[in-house]
Amino acid sequence: MENGLWELLGSKGLLKRHEFIRILVQCLYSLGFKKSASCLEHESNILYKSADFGLLEKQVLSGNWDSCLAVLDRIFDSSSDHTRDTALYLVLKQCLVEYLKQGDISLALNVLRKQAPLLGMGKEKIHRLACDIVYTKEMESGEADSFLVQDLRKNLLVELEKLIPLPIVIGERRLEHLVESAVLHQIDTCLYHNSWDAVSLYKDHCCGRDQIPSETVQILMAHKNEVWFVQFSNSGKYLATASSDCTAMIWKVLDDNKVELKHTLESHQNPVSFVSWSPDDTKLLTCGNAEVLKLWDVETGVLRHTFGNNNTGFTVSSCAWFPDSARLVCGSSDPERGIVMWDTDGNEIKAWRGTRIPKVVDLAVTPDGESMITVFSDKEIRILHLETKVERVISEEQPITSLSVSSDGKFFIVNLSSQEIHLWDLAGEWKQPLKFSGHRQSKYVIRSCFGGLDSSFIASGSEDSQVYLWNLKNAKPLEVLSGHSMTVNCVSWNPRNPRMLASASDDQTIRIWGPGKPNKPEKWLDNQKMQ
Amino acid sequence: MYTDMDPRQFEHSVVDDNDIHSIVMSYLLHNCFNETADSLASCTGVKQPSDDRDNIQRRKQIIHFVMEMKALKAVELTEQLAKDLLEKNKDLHFDLLRLHFVELVCARKCNEAIEFAKTILAPFGTVHKYVEKLEDAMALLAYDDPEKSPLFHLLSSEYRQQVADNLNRTILEHTNQPSYTPMERIIQHVTVVRQYLTEENGKDAFPPFSLKDSLKG
Repeated sequence: MENGLWELLGSKGLLKRHEFIRILVQCLYSLGFKKSASCLEHESNILYKSADFGLLEKQVLSGNWDSCLAVLDRIFDSSSDHTRDTALYLVLKQCLVEYLKQGDISLALNVLRKQAPLLGMGKEKIHRLACDIVYTKEMESGEADSFLVQDLRKNLLVELEKLIPLPIVIGERRLEHLVESAVLHQIDTCLYHNSWDAVSLYKDHCCGRDQIPSETVQILMAHKNEVWFVQFSNSGKYLATASSDCTAMIWKVLDDNKVELKHTLESHQNPVSFVSWSPDDTKLLTCGNAEVLKLWDVETGVLRHTFGNNNTGFTVSSCAWFPDSARLVCGSSDPERGIVMWDTDGNEIKAWRGTRIPKVVDLAVTPDGESMITVFSDKEIRILHLETKVERVISEEQPITSLSVSSDGKFFIVNLSSQEIHLWDLAGEWKQPLKFSGHRQSKYVIRSCFGGLDSSFIASGSEDSQVYLWNLKNAKPLEVLSGHSMTVNCVSWNPRNPRMLASASDDQTIRIWGPGKPNKPEKWLDNQKMQ
Repeated sequence: MYTDMDPRQFEHSVVDDNDIHSIVMSYLLHNCFNETADSLASCTGVKQPSDDRDNIQRRKQIIHFVMEMKALKAVELTEQLAKDLLEKNKDLHFDLLRLHFVELVCARKCNEAIEFAKTILAPFGTVHKYVEKLEDAMALLAYDDPEKSPLFHLLSSEYRQQVADNLNRTILEHTNQPSYTPMERIIQHVTVVRQYLTEENGKDAFPPFSLKDSLKG
C-alpha cells in the first residue's frame, strides 16, 4: 500500500494509480473472474470493497443493528440529511420487519418510540415507519425463516449501496463506462462514420471512404435527354428518374445492389422534372415545370390519373404525399393555380389560392403529415402546421431552387443559387441556419438530399458535373465525386442502404455510387485536420 | 323587494306556543333525550310519535357506545338496526373502525391494534381519500403516550362527539327522518337572513345574528 499509493498514471499524470487498479478489480468481478479479481486484490493490496463498506456489510448480514447504525453514522457524516435519513429509514424498517417476524411487538415499538427519535429521525419518517407496519407484506409474523431474513438483509445492503457516497462505494461497471465514453467521443469526431457496427478497441476509431458511397459502381443509360430528377423509393428497393425526354422511369434495385430498368412511363408531352413516391411505394407522381401532374401504379407501370381535368395548363412544379398514401398535395409554377390537395381518385380536397400564394418553387410534407413546407418564388419558405394553421416564415436572402426534408422530420435543407445549402430545424428554435458550401450553382435548379446513418450526411448536385458530400458537422465538403461529364442536377441517397447513392445529370446518365476504397494514409490525415 | 312589513317589526309577528313545543320536542327526540321528551309531553300535551320509541332507544345506545369508547359495539348495533347503512356510508364506517383502533392503542393493546389495522383497516388504504386518515391513526403507535402525540385530537371526546353526531344523522336519514332539527335550521336561516340584511343596510341598522345576545334577552 505504501509504494505507489499516490502514484499517477497516464501521459499527463491525471489518473490515480490506486483508483485505476480498483476499477480493474471491479471489472474482473463483474465479468465473473472471482479468482483473478481476488488475486489482483492480493497482489496490489487494493481491495474493491472499502474497509467501511466491508464493516457495514458484516453488521447488516449478521443483524448487529446498533453497530450498523454506528457505521452508517460515520459514513454519512458529511452527506446531505436526505440521504442519511433514507439510509436510517431503510435500516430501521428492516429492524421492524425482523422483530415483527419474531413476534416481538414491544421491541418493534421500541424502535419507533425510542430509537428513531434518538437517531434524529424526522417525525414524518417515523410516522411512515408506523404505517409500514400495517402495509408492508414482509411484516407478517410467521416462521422466522432464516433464509428469507438473509435475503431481506442482502436487499437492504443493495439499497444502502445506492445511497453511500464515493469513494466508499463506486458506481457499477465503471471501467466499461469510461471506455464507452472514449469510443463515443471518437465516433463523434469521425466524419465518415456511417454504421452502427461495433467498433474495435485496438485503435482509435476513425472511419474511411469505404463507409460512404464514393465510387461509381454502375452507369444507367436509358434516357434520351438530360436527366433532371432521381429518387429512391422509401423502401430503397426502387429508383425513379425523370428526364427532359418527357419520360419518367422506374428502376428496380436488386439484391446485389445492381439497378435494372423496370418501367418506362410515357404519357407526358413535356419534360418531366419532378417525381414523388407514395409513402407505401405503390404509387408514383410525376410532374414538370411546364407539365401536368400524373399518377402511376408502380407495380404495373400503368397511368392511373392525370390531375387538373385534362386542362393542359395545370402545370405542377412539385408535389408531396401524406403519410396515408391516399392524399397528395401539389404546387404550381403558375400562381393562379395555387396549392391543391387531392385524393388519388382526382377529387380536390382543399386549395390555397389567392394573392398570398405566389409561384411555388418547391413543396414538401413532413413525414408525420402535420406540416407542409412550401418554397415560394423565390426567397420565401413557409412552414404551415395544417391543423393549428400556425405559419412560420423564413426569408432567405438569395433565390432558393429546391427543398428536401430529413427522414426523421426534424430538419430540411434548401439549395440557394448563391452556392450555399442552408439547413434549418423544423422546431423553429434556430435563429440562423447551418450553411454548407463548396459546390457550384448559379444558373440551374440543383437539388440536394439527406442521407447516411441517422441523416448525418448531405449530398448535392453541382454545375461543375461533380457530386458533393458533406458531414453535417463540417461546412466544407467531405468528398467530391467525379464521373459525370455535365451538370449534376439531382441526387438521392438510398434510405435503406447508407452506402448507396444515385445522381442524375445533364449528360443523360444516372450514376450509382457505392463504397469507396479505404483512405490512403495521406487522405486519413487530411480528415483529421478538417476538424 | 321590500314588503310593507318592516323587518324590524318582528316583535309584532305572532308565534304559536304549539309550534315552540314541537320545535323543542323534535330537538329532544333527535338527540335521544327520551325521558325529557316524556316529561315535556306530559306537561304540554304535545304529541310524540310512538313508533319512534324503538328507534330513539337504539340510537341512544349507539351514541353512548361511541362516546364510551366502544366503537365496535356501536357498529354492531348499527348493523342490527339498519343492515346496509354502513356499507352505503363507507366514510362513516371507516371513521368508526378507526376509533376502535385508537381505543386499542389507548388501552395499550398494541398487538391487537396492529392485527386489527392489518386485517380491517389496511384494505381501506387502497382508496386514496382514506390514506391520510389511516396514516394519522398509525402514527399513534410511535408514541409511548399517544396523548402527547401530534395526533392527540383523535383521542378527544370532541372528536368522538363529531363521529357520534355524524352517525346519528346518518341513521335518521336512513330511517327516513329529518337529519337536521328544525331548531338548527331556524338558527341557520336567521343567521343567513341577518347577514343579508347587514350587507344591504349596514351594521348599524341590522347587526349580524348572535345567539348569545338573543339568549340574554
